[in-house]
Amino acid sequence: MTMTPDKEEELQQLQRTWASPKGLSYLSEVNNSAIGIWYICTAFGFMIFGGILGLIIRAQLAVPEATLVSSDTYSQVFTLHGTVMMFLFAVPIFEAVAILILPSMLGARDLPFPRLSAFGFWCFLIGGVFVCGSIFFGIAPDSGWFMYPPLSTEQSGLGADIWLLGLSFIEVASIAAAVELIVGVLKCRAPGMHLNLTPLYGWYVLVVGGMILFAFPPLIAGDLLFELERLMDWPFFDVSRGGDPLLWQHLFWIFGHPEVYIIFLPAIALLAMIIPTFSGRPIVGYSWIVLSALGTGFLSFGLWVHHMFTTGLPSISLGFFSAASEAVAIPTGIQLFAFIGTVMLGRVQKSVPMLWCLGALATFLVGGLTGVMVAVAPFDFQVHDTYFIVAHLHYTLIGGMLFPTLAGVHYYYPFFTGRALSFRTGAWSFWLCFSGFNIAFLPMHLTGLLGMPRRVVTYGADRGWSELNMISTIGAFIFAAGFALFVWNCLVSLRRGAPSGPNPWKAGTLEWLAPGLDYGMRSIPRIESRYPLWDDPSLVSRTMAGEGLLADAREGKRETLVTSVLDAVPVQVLRVPGPGWLPMAAAFGLGGVFIFATFSLYWLAAASAVGYLVAQIAWLWTGTALIPEKATKDVGQGVVLPLYRSGPASTGWWAMFIMMTGDLTAFLALVFGYFFFWTVHPEFPPAGIAGPGWQWPLTGGILTLASWALTLAARRGNALGHVSTARLLCGAGIGASLGASAAFVAAPVLNGMDSSLHAYPAIVCALIVWIVAHLLTGAIMQGYCLARSLAGKMTPDHDADLWNVTLYWHFALFCGVFGAAVIGGFPEVL
Amino acid sequence: MGKATEEARRETGSGTTLWHVIAAPIVWSVHFLVCYIWAAIHCEKAGRDALLVPAQTGIYVVTGVALVLIGLNTVRFWRTYQRSVTDGDFDFEANTVEERHRFLGHASIMLSVLSAVAVIYVAIPALLLSTCR
Repeated sequence: MTMTPDKEEELQQLQRTWASPKGLSYLSEVNNSAIGIWYICTAFGFMIFGGILGLIIRAQLAVPEATLVSSDTYSQVFTLHGTVMMFLFAVPIFEAVAILILPSMLGARDLPFPRLSAFGFWCFLIGGVFVCGSIFFGIAPDSGWFMYPPLSTEQSGLGADIWLLGLSFIEVASIAAAVELIVGVLKCRAPGMHLNLTPLYGWYVLVVGGMILFAFPPLIAGDLLFELERLMDWPFFDVSRGGDPLLWQHLFWIFGHPEVYIIFLPAIALLAMIIPTFSGRPIVGYSWIVLSALGTGFLSFGLWVHHMFTTGLPSISLGFFSAASEAVAIPTGIQLFAFIGTVMLGRVQKSVPMLWCLGALATFLVGGLTGVMVAVAPFDFQVHDTYFIVAHLHYTLIGGMLFPTLAGVHYYYPFFTGRALSFRTGAWSFWLCFSGFNIAFLPMHLTGLLGMPRRVVTYGADRGWSELNMISTIGAFIFAAGFALFVWNCLVSLRRGAPSGPNPWKAGTLEWLAPGLDYGMRSIPRIESRYPLWDDPSLVSRTMAGEGLLADAREGKRETLVTSVLDAVPVQVLRVPGPGWLPMAAAFGLGGVFIFATFSLYWLAAASAVGYLVAQIAWLWTGTALIPEKATKDVGQGVVLPLYRSGPASTGWWAMFIMMTGDLTAFLALVFGYFFFWTVHPEFPPAGIAGPGWQWPLTGGILTLASWALTLAARRGNALGHVSTARLLCGAGIGASLGASAAFVAAPVLNGMDSSLHAYPAIVCALIVWIVAHLLTGAIMQGYCLARSLAGKMTPDHDADLWNVTLYWHFALFCGVFGAAVIGGFPEVL
Repeated sequence: MGKATEEARRETGSGTTLWHVIAAPIVWSVHFLVCYIWAAIHCEKAGRDALLVPAQTGIYVVTGVALVLIGLNTVRFWRTYQRSVTDGDFDFEANTVEERHRFLGHASIMLSVLSAVAVIYVAIPALLLSTCR
């Protein structure tokens, strides 16, 4: 291809702007292609660690009365195996793969908040190493991956704290990824990519991002309560002081069940991309898959109590969840039928990714069928906590998540390395994994039906489980051999794999237009169909010749297009940040808070918190809502777009909205805790135990309202050009926020509440802690806006900061006023 | 600009958004939570030997309300969907605003059906059980 000198220069400028720093500075990179690969490699690293733990479990159970590991170590091993596989592999690998491939798939140069991806990655790495490392010191969590109290609150050592704080920290990474990915799918699609033309992967990411916002926060709320009990002896889960262990089970499984689908949906999203390619035809039933994914996303929230069928809840409660558990099979089935239909109607091309896809469908089907069985409460009563459940959950997770992910790795390997994996080794590794997996887990259904409970360190020879266990262990090692072969294939092909060219599978979706470029693609094409590479043969050459939009980086700044939600009409050129150390510094600061707190080193934790805050504010100050040197930019083809947007038209506003939706869910989970205690206690608030009264909560609520109103007035005033008034209002807002915080703190202090006495004062104080934390954060934000205005970085025309802070305050208002009504008002109306 | 195009533009501008698409599943969620919380509180406060009434009656009422709401939603989408001026197939693969609109309309209708089925499923236990046991 010949290029005019102009175009040549343009390309070089683009490459320079997006090039990764060299040497050690490479670690300061924030671009999605670098972060995505680090993220994937780290997740697989943890996965191998978790796999080795799994093999230790199988080795211990191979023969009866084995003494390979002690009972204590065994408890740590199975707890960590579950924890690592769920929290450090299954969820993060979704984020990792999405960060890597989503921008190219949508025709964006990067995701809208690259530093947030980097921050999430570092959080994940630090938290993961911390949690995994604990086993080498013999202090790993040991109460099972769902940490049920009272075992975990009363008998566990440091392990429970490591689990809680380490994972809370990793949940931050998940929510960061959710914000990033939702905004990415909705606002960063190539021009013309209407919602009905968006790749299915994008739809799945959107659904899963939304689910994370409602699933993870209840666990964060649960973690908060749990840690308050562990560190401060606030008795949320202690029956002798009015607590209830079932509250933890509810909060954990409100997270835990949707999480299964959070893992499953993005993995089958990969199938939705791979199967059409190898069937040589568009996916069958695009709209059916989209609506089923949405339906699954919703229904999966009505299933959590099916993990609690044997806790003695009334039959009517069990019935609701049993019904919803059966209903979710409908949309799940629709998706599988659409995949099978695509395979049947197409001409299937033999390939390793396709082997993994078909293996995944077969395996998941078995897991799904046993799922329908255990959704029936009386059957579940029989097999609860037996190896039948172990078999079921591994069939769903390995068929629904691991195999599709491995299909994805084989499929996208050429995308990020430019080389192909070996077919022979790939086929061998598939058949070893597939047969090994079935040899290991199919007999477990029977072991479970014969009564073997999960999590036992060993069993007697007279139980009749010996042969089945031996078969399972042999299978597990075959499975591991297959996986080792896969890893070997990946490593060797990095050097020796055949060069794959730009589109080795002849795929139709946009990511194969120009794989492996830091800047995504030479220019951003206008999209006319769902499989642009199939339908428009000249698309590649036109795009690579720089004939699409935003072909240049004239100002030397990384830029990507922002388009409208429904029809992808270009609305803005978004400047995204380049390399920098601040996300990493912020992650280390925040990590320090959690890690030092685990070991009760509170001064160091406080110092870390200050470090985090400084890094975070520096990050915002130097890189967000920057006033551009000119108002608009010509992106080619006569399209001129603004460089700065604020309010609902900006990506930052939506990020705040999404983030705060998650935050609101966590708050509501705490409120749920309050009413849960009201439900289980005949008398609540209990007699003779001091409460917060109504006066101070009322004062706090009114001051919160005042602070919100001042912030809103500041935004309006600023927009009208009354800059000094706006500054005054911001300042007054800080005062009101601090006053509101003081009033909320006064409620327990002046009324002499003792949080360790009973669950009632404890839950009231937990709500107050939450509200005050939000008010203080709000005060910092008001101060930030004031400083931005004084520094000339926020003007009447460039007021994104103030819009976002006002949005935060809408949520803080609800938190303060509703919280005050609950703690101060509810006892009065009883 | 022809009249049909103008009509399409007006309709597609406001008829379907992502919020409208998830309206029916949101009704399901609220229905589910109300049924569960109502029954749980009733049984906890009244004791395990108590009859399910009045929670049972409540569940029938909210189920009726939920089905009506989902029904109205379905009719609404059916009408916008039917007003389509394009080919009427189920591929939804044209790069037009109208096609996006039809696509979301179809997804909404089928999600309404799924939600209605799920609402009925969830109500079944209230039909079959009579006490808080």
